[in-house]
Amino acid sequence: MKVSFPYMGSAIVYKKLFEFLEHEVIMPPKPTQRTMDLGVKYSPEFACIPLKMVMGTYLEAIEKGAKVLVTSGGHGPCRAGFYGDTHRNILKSLGYDDIELIIFDAPQDSWRAFFRNVQKIRNGVPWHKVINRMYTLYRFVQKLDELEKMVQKIRPYEVNKGQTTQVWNQIQERFDKIKTRKELYKVYEECKQLLFSIPTRKVDEKDRIRVGIVGEIYVVMESSINFGIEEILGNLGVEVERSLYLFEWINDNLVPWILRPKRFKEIIKKGQRYIKILIGGHAVETVGHIIDFKERGFDGIVHLMPFACLPELVTQSLIPKISKEVDIPILSLPIDEQTGKANMLTRIEAFIDLLKNRKRGKTKEVFIDNIQEHVQEERVVMV
Amino acid sequence: MKIAIPHSLLYYYYFPLWDTFFKELGFEVVDTGPTTKDILDKGSKAAVADICAPIKIFTGHVIEGLEKADYVFVPRFARIKKPEYFCPKFMGLPDIIEGTVEKSKGRVISPIINEKNNENISSPRGYEILIDMFGFSHREIRLAIKRAEEVFERFKSLMHSGLSCDKALNSYRTGRWEEDLGKVKKDGDVTIAVLGYVYDVYDSFISMDVVKKLETLGVNIKTFEMVPQEVAYESLKHYRKRLFWTFSNRVLGAGLYYLKDPDVDGIIHVTAFGCGPDAIVGRFLQFESDVAGKPFTTLRVDEHTGEGHMVTRIEAFVDMLRRKKWAKLSEVL
Ligand code: SF4
Ligand code: SF4
Repeated sequence: MKVSFPYMGSAIVYKKLFEFLEHEVIMPPKPTQRTMDLGVKYSPEFACIPLKMVMGTYLEAIEKGAKVLVTSGGHGPCRAGFYGDTHRNILKSLGYDDIELIIFDAPQDSWRAFFRNVQKIRNGVPWHKVINRMYTLYRFVQKLDELEKMVQKIRPYEVNKGQTTQVWNQIQERFDKIKTRKELYKVYEECKQLLFSIPTRKVDEKDRIRVGIVGEIYVVMESSINFGIEEILGNLGVEVERSLYLFEWINDNLVPWILRPKRFKEIIKKGQRYIKILIGGHAVETVGHIIDFKERGFDGIVHLMPFACLPELVTQSLIPKISKEVDIPILSLPIDEQTGKANMLTRIEAFIDLLKNRKRGKTKEVFIDNIQEHVQEERVVMV
Repeated sequence: MKIAIPHSLLYYYYFPLWDTFFKELGFEVVDTGPTTKDILDKGSKAAVADICAPIKIFTGHVIEGLEKADYVFVPRFARIKKPEYFCPKFMGLPDIIEGTVEKSKGRVISPIINEKNNENISSPRGYEILIDMFGFSHREIRLAIKRAEEVFERFKSLMHSGLSCDKALNSYRTGRWEEDLGKVKKDGDVTIAVLGYVYDVYDSFISMDVVKKLETLGVNIKTFEMVPQEVAYESLKHYRKRLFWTFSNRVLGAGLYYLKDPDVDGIIHVTAFGCGPDAIVGRFLQFESDVAGKPFTTLRVDEHTGEGHMVTRIEAFVDMLRRKKWAKLSEVL
């Protein structure tokens, strides 16, 4: 099967997944303006931007020869759970009758449908191999995320502008070639060394700004739609961390509830201080992470949301109150096809200035000499 | 004790129930009244800029209610039918209010409506916060809700007999249940199904009384409230999976039902600018209308829609339906 999938964040992970299942993978191109134009053209006007972007991605993947598109469904109450059906409906009306769209809904909605899908994408690979390879993939995601977190902490202090991003691109290329678990661990160690060999500036604690990025999953994870906000912030000398990493997402959503990391439940609990019940999307998590970032000493929050996103509008309604009560500045940025980069940049720069001013005089003097220690100190959070 | 019930969102569907319930408990109920420019302005100022007009308007009614009463009623609608939910904004409504209306602290009564399958929202469990807040007994709550449910059942039977929900509300207020039952104006020469959430269709500030305007053009109106829940769901049966939002399913289901009704000549979908669920409902309605070969149009409304513009559009639509109908009739003759 010529398989493709939506592009979001570390797309090489999904590519690996289908390679492990011995499919012919058609790698969807990283979303560009053209992807957006295509998506906007063929989607309902008031659909959310992620739906439109994924629509565009599908059309581009089909151009490249994809015959099967695999995606997740979800079970409301937000629109995301209906993306698949809407996309299918649109593809049909465009005359793509030969394209198959496999939608993975939550298994508890229909176990039968779920297993039928699993059988389809398992592609006849024997179960023991599937399990072994899925475990490798699980570790693959974990290691890649760890490296990305390091990148986000090193970039603001690099001496040669752009070097960290360059190394990160290399890392992704190297990961793309990994086939076995043994190889994975070896490549991981080498990549880590690669990162640590990047020359960095000595940084004074009072000049270190840390920003947490929270919000709806697609706009948080996919840099092409958020204008590469992590890189923008990094280049402004700001350390960033997202509320969402693929590895954590897997643990939070695909692992049965009792085995889920305690941390996830704590985040939900923190979020429920302001939004009492789960309302779909990532609203409660968004709030929970804002509080969590504050407790972990972050200086500010960037809240990303697709324009008119239902659950994030609930969050946004609460932001002034949270910001005041929790005492952390929050910048809320709605994103859609009309969002201009220049305007966004101005707002981000102003926000970072504010954070810097706030910070001065507040903190004691601590120097970080050793970037390696600094980067590793908080890694405990990961597992 | 005075409690204000905001004249907005599901007010149009559940007011008789809530009104009865709170009166039974000895509250004095204050209706914040139809949306006015002032209420809208208050709401728009407090709410976040990008949120849909119905939520802005609701916020305005809450502010109005706080001025007129001791408490304001802001129910948290999670679901009334499994496995569906309400739009996330309904689920987080009290949180939104807490975040945007400063003076609301401690003065909002927010029962949680979380029913497995109960359109009548009549299980006492959700209303138990009133026990904590005011010291009612379980029994009092149970009796009051039971009484309220009876009234709501009568209200529903009025709607199912063909009265749109604002007319049924009027019957409730005037107490003219029996006289109004089944009294539907049927003398227009074309019939249009006007589909949309009650707070879009009947809020005169959002839809500018589209129903009344159509009626003055001599059109018979059908709406989703006239289709009993079971019937609406029956017509959704062939879908792989339902929408997540109960009232969206009701609107869509009623739409599919009316598409098969030979009396109905066309469909108007009334939707608020920027409404999330409607992006999907609208797409499906349009698709199915094309298949059924019935004229379909979308009336996208918000607080800034120009009235003239709207009237021109519906007049054109009605004219088109008439021409179509006459052409067909003359073929037969
Ligand atoms: S969470 Fe927001 S962006 Fe995602 S489906 Fe819901 S409304 Fe759309
Ligand atoms: S259903 Fe649409 S109009 Fe109603 S609250 Fe939700 S987004 Fe707003």
